[in-house]
Amino acid sequence: MHPALQGLLTILIGVGGCVGYFYFSNQLIDKVLFPPRGPNAGRNINRANMVRPWLFLLPALLALGLYLAYPVLETLRLSLTERIPGGGSKWVGLDNYRQMVNEPKFWEAMRNNMMWLLVVPALSTAFGLLAAQLTDRISWGNIAKSLIFMPMAISFVGAAVIWKLIYDTRPVDQEQIGVLNAIYLALGGDQPMTWLTIPFWNNFFLMAVLVWIQTGFAMVILSAALRGIPEETIEAAIVDGANPFQIFFKIKVPQIAGTIVVVWTTITIVVLKVFDIVFAMTNGQWQTQVLANYMFDKLFRANDWGVGSAAAMVIMLLVTPILVWNVWNARKEMR
Amino acid sequence: MKNVLYAGAAAVALLPVSAMAEQVTVFGPWLGPDQENVEAVLAAFAEQSGHDVRYTGSDSFEQQIVVDAEAGSAPNIAVFPQPGLAADMAGRGFLAPLPDGTGDWVRDNYAAGQSWVDLGTYAGPDGQDDLYGFFYKVDLKSLVWYVPENFEDAGYDIPETMEDLKALTQQIVSDGGTPWCIGLGSGGATGWPATDWVEDLMLRTQTPDVYDGWVTNDVKFTDERVINAIDEFGWFARNDDFVAGGAGAVASTDFRDSPKGLFSSPPQCYMHRQASFIPAFFPDGTVVGEDADFFYFPAYAGMDLGKPVLGAGTVWGITADSQGARDLIAFLQTPEAHEIWMARTGFLTPHKGVDPEKFGDPTLRKMNEILLNATTFRFDGSDLMPGAVGAGAFWTGMVDYAGGKPAPEVAAEIQAAWDAIK
Amino acid sequence: MDGIAGRKTRLSWAVHLSVLALVLLWLFPTVGLFVSSFRTTDQIATSGWWKAAFPSVQNLTLRARPPSEQVRQGDLWVIEGDLFEKGKTVSVSRFGVSSRAPTAFGAGETAPLRKGGEATVDASGHYRLTNTEPFTGKRGQRLFVTAKVPPEFTLENYRNVLFDPKNREGMSRAFFNTLTVTIPATIIPILIAAFAAYALAWMEFPGRALLIAAIVGLLVVPLQLALIPLLKFHNNIGIGKGYVGVWLAHTGFGLPLAIYLLRNYMVGLPRDIIENARVDGASEFQIFTRIILPLSFPALASFAIFQFLWTWNDLLVALVFLIDSSGDTTVMTKQIVELLGTRGGNWEILATSAFVSIAVPLFVFFAMQRYLVRGLLAGSVK
Repeated sequence: MHPALQGLLTILIGVGGCVGYFYFSNQLIDKVLFPPRGPNAGRNINRANMVRPWLFLLPALLALGLYLAYPVLETLRLSLTERIPGGGSKWVGLDNYRQMVNEPKFWEAMRNNMMWLLVVPALSTAFGLLAAQLTDRISWGNIAKSLIFMPMAISFVGAAVIWKLIYDTRPVDQEQIGVLNAIYLALGGDQPMTWLTIPFWNNFFLMAVLVWIQTGFAMVILSAALRGIPEETIEAAIVDGANPFQIFFKIKVPQIAGTIVVVWTTITIVVLKVFDIVFAMTNGQWQTQVLANYMFDKLFRANDWGVGSAAAMVIMLLVTPILVWNVWNARKEMR
Repeated sequence: MKNVLYAGAAAVALLPVSAMAEQVTVFGPWLGPDQENVEAVLAAFAEQSGHDVRYTGSDSFEQQIVVDAEAGSAPNIAVFPQPGLAADMAGRGFLAPLPDGTGDWVRDNYAAGQSWVDLGTYAGPDGQDDLYGFFYKVDLKSLVWYVPENFEDAGYDIPETMEDLKALTQQIVSDGGTPWCIGLGSGGATGWPATDWVEDLMLRTQTPDVYDGWVTNDVKFTDERVINAIDEFGWFARNDDFVAGGAGAVASTDFRDSPKGLFSSPPQCYMHRQASFIPAFFPDGTVVGEDADFFYFPAYAGMDLGKPVLGAGTVWGITADSQGARDLIAFLQTPEAHEIWMARTGFLTPHKGVDPEKFGDPTLRKMNEILLNATTFRFDGSDLMPGAVGAGAFWTGMVDYAGGKPAPEVAAEIQAAWDAIK
Repeated sequence: MDGIAGRKTRLSWAVHLSVLALVLLWLFPTVGLFVSSFRTTDQIATSGWWKAAFPSVQNLTLRARPPSEQVRQGDLWVIEGDLFEKGKTVSVSRFGVSSRAPTAFGAGETAPLRKGGEATVDASGHYRLTNTEPFTGKRGQRLFVTAKVPPEFTLENYRNVLFDPKNREGMSRAFFNTLTVTIPATIIPILIAAFAAYALAWMEFPGRALLIAAIVGLLVVPLQLALIPLLKFHNNIGIGKGYVGVWLAHTGFGLPLAIYLLRNYMVGLPRDIIENARVDGASEFQIFTRIILPLSFPALASFAIFQFLWTWNDLLVALVFLIDSSGDTTVMTKQIVELLGTRGGNWEILATSAFVSIAVPLFVFFAMQRYLVRGLLAGSVK
């Protein structure tokens, strides 16, 4: 069978199964179990209304529980055990964590992760805010927006290739094909630099990739928020003689503070999970290790599941404040 | 009657195939040209046995085989580039012991058979030693590649001793050239080419016993003999004048990219130390033996350690036992399985029963000579160390070293990683 | 008044220019890749892509014809030929016959050969080797030339990546496989999430607030945690590695965002429409399919685009849950990464394959971005 046909068939089965579930389970409730007719019509309607939300929610809850909640618990368990050669595992308490905090590589990853957490959300949000403010005032703003937003559509693997070309280094007597070295030499640098191997600073070269990707996201959301500010507020400020910078920083920014926080935290979550960029560009060498890559390294290269899981729990722990804040916000919204 | 006869004949004809034919999946590290080579071998097996044989390659083989085995969806046969990883997996019960008699066959038919049996014998989950790995395809590592015409133009001779090689290195610099191209980049495996350098230099500065002790960590990484070997590598790689692009470029240059410097105009470098597989990454149209050639990475004349040779090989293990998997291991014992790849490129074998005339190009025969002239043959040490060291700390340590970290510090970190898994 | 107007135009010029600068900065990396994918190996290696439109000076190592093709002219043995194809406007400035001195001679000068005889190369790349003795050896003499080569663009790279006989089968199969992964992995979570979001937005039941909070919490779980426990689970229930597994995985990982976005959007729909429909006796199922779904279209579309981009670009989930050792189920990203592995140093292959992998997402993105923006806004701006 042609692969296209095979694909089409599998697509039909998959999607059809899903639609079928919702349709037939509703039919089952309405027509068979609790028909809103006959002597018990009222009671049946109530019962159907009690069951139906769960019917609608069931597939989602199953998938969420299995694919997200269960792995978290399983990882917690693994991080407290040690595998015995030949199968099975034994309880070791906090030994894995102790081993982890004694490794310099772990602290390197922590330090780098903290820098990522500070730099990437800040720069992405700042650039996004700048782009949003500027593009809102010009006629070709929408075209500009979509071009800035475009990197969102590029895979991390593709982005890694793109940026490797920028950071490329050729020996000193050859023509440079990496933009950064070409510029550096044109500005009077004495010899080409291998950017990704300069400890500490190479982290920023990696962060640039993520900032490049995430700025578009920040821009789109902030631009909408800026448009949501009532015209009158701004007009009043103009009448009072405020200059454009005062308007921007004293009036607009405070007005959209809530949205800025949302953008900031969303990007923070992306940063905590960042793995592909580091993996593809340096694999944590030259002191660019980050937690997610450290975890991957422990799990799949060193085969040390205990420490790998412990690293995963550290990532979860770092995420927790955001999680709590999100939950608290969602609850506030409900009231 | 006639019909019955036909049916009977059909049944008989079908039987051997339909009763046995099954899918045999093979998962290995080879991609590109080597993938075509291994597929040619497997195609011959498929034709003879009737099995449906599938090969997939991945350059993150080491991680993927672990995920697959852990989760219980392993292929039938896994081709390990490192015995260390195979030993890990055997210990965790993911490998099936090879069929009885395989060990005897290897002992009888491979040159230095016992050593190949030892390299493929690991402790199983119950702690019992058993033969789990079958070696097929050997690489020679102690080779230095060069462009003969460039040597002729400059009037250089092939160095016969390490002293000569070092003198030549300095000679090239004083002539205004750059002697070496060294690249350690290899994606997730960045750093491994440097481990080969250190192993080769260990064998050239210490006796084989010390090397064996180092591989099992009886001789610690922090031992001054090991640190000395690392610094020997540093003599070549940490001198801005000795390597193309300067010492800073060593760690970040891709190992597939670095031999290209031999062929540029003017040459970026004159020599490149790499294993027998590297011609696959030479520019298109390069003829090995004419455009490029190799010589033996020589030993110190003053050390009296003979002519040591470093090699490596791939280990085939059964990760999901089936008749088809056993048939494949049996097929790999036929001379034909070796001769198919010999007729192509980049293949050496310890099989004594193969016809040397079948080697596809004369360079392979020349490599076999190096193998035969060796007074000591040792297997790639990092491949024998536990994965966390040989495919982890040792790699990253060498990257740090190439970047300028002192050897004792690097050695201490690698040793700490080894201590952590004891 | 004049002063203010003048300041205004100057300010707006500044705005135009800074937006232009920003856009160029953001576009620059991608354009570099795009341009490189149309250049030849030699060109990429010898000049930066920003110089692609200009002639470049290259140092080339070329070979004269082998001695077996020499001819006798009078008492000289001669090997003659052209280093470049006819019709290529190349101008050779320097040449050499030894790797020690590849630029020793000007075009048209005569260089003595080390093994006897002499060689000359003229500006067009025509060479002539002469000797009183016959030339010996198997290979032709190496000629090093410094030549100004006109800019050259080629589709060869795309032909190699997409239509090379060795790759083609793999690539086209990967393309269809990727579609087979992405389409259900986009539609299924939307369906499931839409029902769940409706229940969370418009149905009263105990525990609703807690559920919403929990789903928001799950937004932040790192995906790598889930890989091994889930693959184990898939193997235990017998679906192993395959499309079903990868659909389920993508569904699970995409759900929190989907529910979060869709619920936020649905809550904002006007209450009257739904209440009226209920009074009119419409069942919840009917309300959902006839009213809510059509009204939520922007949010559905925006999530669909997100999920599509994410599943198309994904490698990790596919590696773990889909690609088995039979090799039948490879996807585009995996194919690209393999090309990277085997052709690690070849920028032209890297650039082309990376561009192939981002072409479809870029197309989808530009075609659908209106919805993407609208839906995003619904999700995060109150």
